[in-house]
Amino acid sequence: MVTAAVLAGALALTACGSSDSGSDDDGGSGLSVGSAYMPQPVSDTMAAGFLVITNKGAAGDVLTRVTSEVAGEVTVHKTVGQTMEEAKSLDIPAHGELVLQSGGDHLMFEQLKRKPLEGQKVSVQLYFAKTSPITVEMPVKSATYNPKTGH
Amino acid sequence: MRKKLFAASALLVAATLTLSACGSGDDSDQSVADVSVESGSDKAATVLDQPFEKPDLVLTDTQGKPYDFRAETKGRPTLIYFGYTNCPDVCPLTMSNIAVAKKQLSKADQDKLRIVFVTTDPERDTPAALGKWLKGIDPQVVGLTGDFATIQAGARTLGISIEPTSKDKNGKTISMHGTQVIAFSPKTDGGYVLYGEDATVDDYTKDLPKIIKGQNP
Repeated sequence: MVTAAVLAGALALTACGSSDSGSDDDGGSGLSVGSAYMPQPVSDTMAAGFLVITNKGAAGDVLTRVTSEVAGEVTVHKTVGQTMEEAKSLDIPAHGELVLQSGGDHLMFEQLKRKPLEGQKVSVQLYFAKTSPITVEMPVKSATYNPKTGH
Repeated sequence: MRKKLFAASALLVAATLTLSACGSGDDSDQSVADVSVESGSDKAATVLDQPFEKPDLVLTDTQGKPYDFRAETKGRPTLIYFGYTNCPDVCPLTMSNIAVAKKQLSKADQDKLRIVFVTTDPERDTPAALGKWLKGIDPQVVGLTGDFATIQAGARTLGISIEPTSKDKNGKTISMHGTQVIAFSPKTDGGYVLYGEDATVDDYTKDLPKIIKGQNP
């Protein structure tokens, strides 16, 4: 059960904090998710989310779709200059990583069903072209959380 | 349409080249500032050798009342940022960083400081929408909206280039935020310090007490 193993991995990752870049293997494809967090949003309409998908495998994969229990719609946005553009899909190269970080590409949660609050967790499903879906329990951090300093 | 920023801080040669490439040759001299950069400094703040003049911006505040930026912030330590509320990442982070740093000032200093958020997306950011969003950050922040051309012209005098909100080919709305926060001195009313997007709470916390006094951070 690949999905189950990954889910357990994601939960374990959450438990040991987001500073870990993730070493959870999904049992073959080599994708793992780390450094996930959501800054507590200002409004109850939209939020951003960040994470790093590491690919230890020899084959590239593609992040194709993202869903979450808290949002009617989750899109992947690429930052282009000072604007955001919706990305249809994002490549995760073999032996590489896909970095969604503040100031760069990010997940955008729209049509929020509730306002995520600091200390809560938001469940996010990541869908790939090849690998089975991965569920990430994304911790909600302060609005000013800086992953470099950890606060 | 080009949506590239140009940073008048002239920190980046590339940015300067972009400016020329965009053909914005009608920019007055003041939009390109001389910048002091201490070698080896990793400070978030960039102190300008030649400060910006305060933009002549008369816009509408979150109460729907006219707000004259020059008159209202005269002699006050002031921070200005151009962004929009449908911006999930950089805009709320920038404003929250400033708001959290501000809370660490004395009450008297907090009351002296003017923090002004000017929307780059006036179509969606009505006074009410701005007010609701800013309440989630800091109710003391002044939110301004109005005619886009006025906002764009004001931003340009501070070396900040913004384009109007547009739709992409999928019908998604695309707006643009500024990249810099500019601090104005209470002593000279000049915009003398720039902060980029990577300025943190700690940077603002360290610098705001100096900006309140008009000193260089």
